[in-house]
Amino acid sequence: MREPLTGSQTVGPFFHYGLAWKPGEHLFPDPNTPGERITLTGTVRDGKSELVFDAFLELWQPDGAGQFGHPNQGSCAGWGRVNTNAQGVYVAQTVMPGSVQGAAPHVMVVLFARGLLKQVVTRIYFAGDARNAAEPALQSAGARAQTLIAQPDPARPGVWVWDVVLQGDHETVFFDL
Amino acid sequence: MTFRHPAAGTHPAFATPSYGSTALRAPKLAPLSLAQGPVELSGPRFDTSVLYPHHDDMTRQSTAAPLGERIIVAGQVRDENGHPVPNTLVEIWQCNAAGRYHHPRDDHDAPLDPHFNGNSRVLTDAQGHWKITTIKPGAYPWRNHPNAWRPAHIHFSVFGSSMLQRLITQMYFPGDPLLGDDPIFNSIPNDKVKERLISRFDWSLTQPEWALGYRFDIVLRGDEATPAN
Repeated sequence: MREPLTGSQTVGPFFHYGLAWKPGEHLFPDPNTPGERITLTGTVRDGKSELVFDAFLELWQPDGAGQFGHPNQGSCAGWGRVNTNAQGVYVAQTVMPGSVQGAAPHVMVVLFARGLLKQVVTRIYFAGDARNAAEPALQSAGARAQTLIAQPDPARPGVWVWDVVLQGDHETVFFDL
Repeated sequence: MTFRHPAAGTHPAFATPSYGSTALRAPKLAPLSLAQGPVELSGPRFDTSVLYPHHDDMTRQSTAAPLGERIIVAGQVRDENGHPVPNTLVEIWQCNAAGRYHHPRDDHDAPLDPHFNGNSRVLTDAQGHWKITTIKPGAYPWRNHPNAWRPAHIHFSVFGSSMLQRLITQMYFPGDPLLGDDPIFNSIPNDKVKERLISRFDWSLTQPEWALGYRFDIVLRGDEATPAN
């Protein structure tokens, strides 16, 4: 006999002190982590294009060699938690993820906010990776696949921009996993 | 392995009109079905290095005791197949006994308690059990609708062994008269699932001349190929 699951409830507006995490913005604090160092940043917007200042994102990914959680990097290497600031901007420091089992490299994103009664879950892919073309998640998104792809910022080397639109035109693709 | 999808009615719908903040934040488009991949099927591992002094006792994190009714809250994290989830991180936070959060954006006209921060962090033991001591949180008003009050609640964030088990929820107290009119509690369609969010008063957790005890078990998604215990 299976038990009913515990249901989800919103994280609310006042989570910051309860979920404070240092250094949440650094997914791989160990400087010897395999992979090219990158910054992932962007904005979170609502259905009126207003900036969402009280959301947070959890990012989870393998290192540049496609390995998870190196023991010498602390047990939670590859995981990060970043709040949006007053301007709706998040910033995370990580490495370009490697491929796992041949899939196009990607970062898992779990986003929580006031007004979300449960998390939204999605993936970040990286523009220009040849493996994107055969990636089932991108194919299933069709014309909306662009919402899943981070773009390099030409003005800031090493910075990749990926924005979230929770609702409305250009709504980000979220997944039911 | 892959995780079983939650039964219909387990989690709230994104668009829940009675909770006003969903209006502009709930995605309009249905999430796309996708096979669970190796990234989602793994997750971070936390160890005791993430704990801090008195991490499991919110009444001992300051130089003096906070005001309010001291309580003990304990439970087990397990999956829907009945298997304990060991060594997983549970983060817990709440407002104080007067109904005020230690948060700069909480402007409710109730006193802050200089001796109560209101956060805790525990790792489950080998059998998935955890236990904290805290202060019973107060009810507080919010601006969702006229004369809106949140029932007393404690926030819980749980990881599990995979990021697909990630859960954030709220624990309520038995007999709270505010539960019936709370849009957040009532956003869960299934009555049995709703009931599970209400902790149970528990004599076995209650310590004589010290604190009443409440039990709150948390059930996460499980392997769809594993038969239930």
